[in-house]
Amino acid sequence: MSNTAQPILTARALRKTYRSGNRELEVFHDVDFHINAGESVSIRGESGSGKSTLLNLLAALDTAGAGTLSWDGFSKIDNAARGKFLGIIFQAFYLIPELNALENILMARRIAGNVDAAARARAAELLARVGLRDRGHHLPSQLSGGERQRVAVARALMNSPRVVLADEPTGNLDEKTADSVMDLLLGICAETNTALVLVTHNPLYAQRTAREYFLHEGTLRSVR
Amino acid sequence: MPWYLYLAFKQLFPSGRWMTFFTCISTLGVFLGVWMLIIIIGVMSGFGFKYGRMIIDTGGEIQVRGAFIENPERIQEIINKVPGVVASTPTAEGIVMIEHQGRPGYPGIIGVAPESVEKVIPISKYLREGSMADLDDDAVVLSAGLAASISTRVGSKVTVVSPLTLERLSQDAYMMPTELTVAGVYEFGHQQLDKSVAIVTLRRMQDLYGLGEGAYGVNVRIAPDADVDAIAGEINASLPPGSRMRARTWMQSGEAFLFALKIERLMIILIVSMVVFVVAFLVTAMLLVAVAHKTREIGLYGALGASPWQSAMCFCFQGVIVGVIGTALGVSIGLLTLANIDPIARLIARLTGNWELLVEVYEFTKVPAHITGADIAIICAFAIGMSTLAGLVAAWRAAKLKPVEAMRSE
Repeated sequence: MSNTAQPILTARALRKTYRSGNRELEVFHDVDFHINAGESVSIRGESGSGKSTLLNLLAALDTAGAGTLSWDGFSKIDNAARGKFLGIIFQAFYLIPELNALENILMARRIAGNVDAAARARAAELLARVGLRDRGHHLPSQLSGGERQRVAVARALMNSPRVVLADEPTGNLDEKTADSVMDLLLGICAETNTALVLVTHNPLYAQRTAREYFLHEGTLRSVR
Repeated sequence: MPWYLYLAFKQLFPSGRWMTFFTCISTLGVFLGVWMLIIIIGVMSGFGFKYGRMIIDTGGEIQVRGAFIENPERIQEIINKVPGVVASTPTAEGIVMIEHQGRPGYPGIIGVAPESVEKVIPISKYLREGSMADLDDDAVVLSAGLAASISTRVGSKVTVVSPLTLERLSQDAYMMPTELTVAGVYEFGHQQLDKSVAIVTLRRMQDLYGLGEGAYGVNVRIAPDADVDAIAGEINASLPPGSRMRARTWMQSGEAFLFALKIERLMIILIVSMVVFVVAFLVTAMLLVAVAHKTREIGLYGALGASPWQSAMCFCFQGVIVGVIGTALGVSIGLLTLANIDPIARLIARLTGNWELLVEVYEFTKVPAHITGADIAIICAFAIGMSTLAGLVAAWRAAKLKPVEAMRSE
């Protein structure tokens, strides 16, 4: 078990640029970031400030132009390890339309390894935990936006990850539903001692995390 | 089960639904292609197989011809000593005039040795009525067409006039026409053989044609699975030096027709294979659309820990699954169709009015079907291979997608 004061995910002097024709556009530079085990951290910023890009770098889905990253002390993380170490939640849910809610949750385990009875039990338990005990056999098309995002939260937690990266998880939801999803996400991460990196526009949600970062004009500042 | 195989199944057969439109159309396409290949190869091979069987059943695997054989028994002794030869029987063919109650016919006539003919030519198998045991020097077995045209049945008395009778008349000698009793009526299922042929004993044939003790040829039966070409070669080597007699295999006897069938079969297979190519393109196009449609989803697989090749395999397996199911259906329904091809062909021919033409061209009164395990294996490998290739194209596209770019795509 890692020490809770120990950084579990760190970024040092990250720089990200995009090439547009002959021009190189800088998204951010000299970004330093860390999160400890079991901690919750938010990243706010205007639209287009690079929040999602930073999250993709933290998730090892994209590569930085400069700087270093460390996942539980390792400077590299492969696809299989990422599926176990990180749980990712997206604004657009990204549930697989051909699979029902329970199968979508189990998909995270299928990709990480084999699905056994224990995995099925855990998926059912997570489904109950996100309040969808009786909706396991419903397809995504038969679920509301809030319910879909609850399934996505359960899927992100399926492999008991050390860190959950949530990219504007309430961006597509109405206020009331967003509040309930956020309550669930923060509550469940705290219960399971899972670190949470929350990218959000909403300052109220950001305030509910232990620490806050703000990304502005290519620079990440710690604001709390 | 690997997740990509599981997901491939689920994307083709989603939870709560029987199958997707893509699954239905692409499987149907593969099924139709395989079904057509099975039927066409089965029927074309059937004609070749039936024609071959017909030659063997009416003349043995090897026929020795080319010169008048004065002492057929001696030639038979030589032939029977060749390893692989099971039996031989002498034969003589000609043409006669036959008459029954004022109805004349001008059939081909074959003289056979009753004591050995059944060991080489299983005429009994094709007898519609009567018995070969009743074929003696005063009896004749008629083809079904001839029996019908001169209105005879077993027990009828027919009069036979040979060219020798006419020759004697020209020499002011009189030779009584021969009266024979119909001992049987056969039907080989081949238009030409069933139309106008009479079978008598070799002794009767020798009398009718003035052949003495001689014959025109010897038909040979060989052991099952024996090498017919090798045995024919050995018989040729054993025949008396200077003899004009030559042993020909059944394939050489029907060479022209078998070659025409082979070419026809090849051409039709090539044309129908194009259908499978078109289906493969259809599957490719549909899977590529699926890849485009699921670009963000492919990004998600990466985010959940999948490697690019695993995501690619998901689409490749969809091609494989479509190919396997379509092929299995095509082979099953194709074999079922082949088992009932004759009534189906008759129905179609009756509707289009082409039955007579069909019989005239192929000479068989029943549409034959014959397909080997090797034929089926080649068809399966071809269809599944093409579907897999279709899946690989889509898989390659999916593998090239980077998770972040895939998830950003609109």
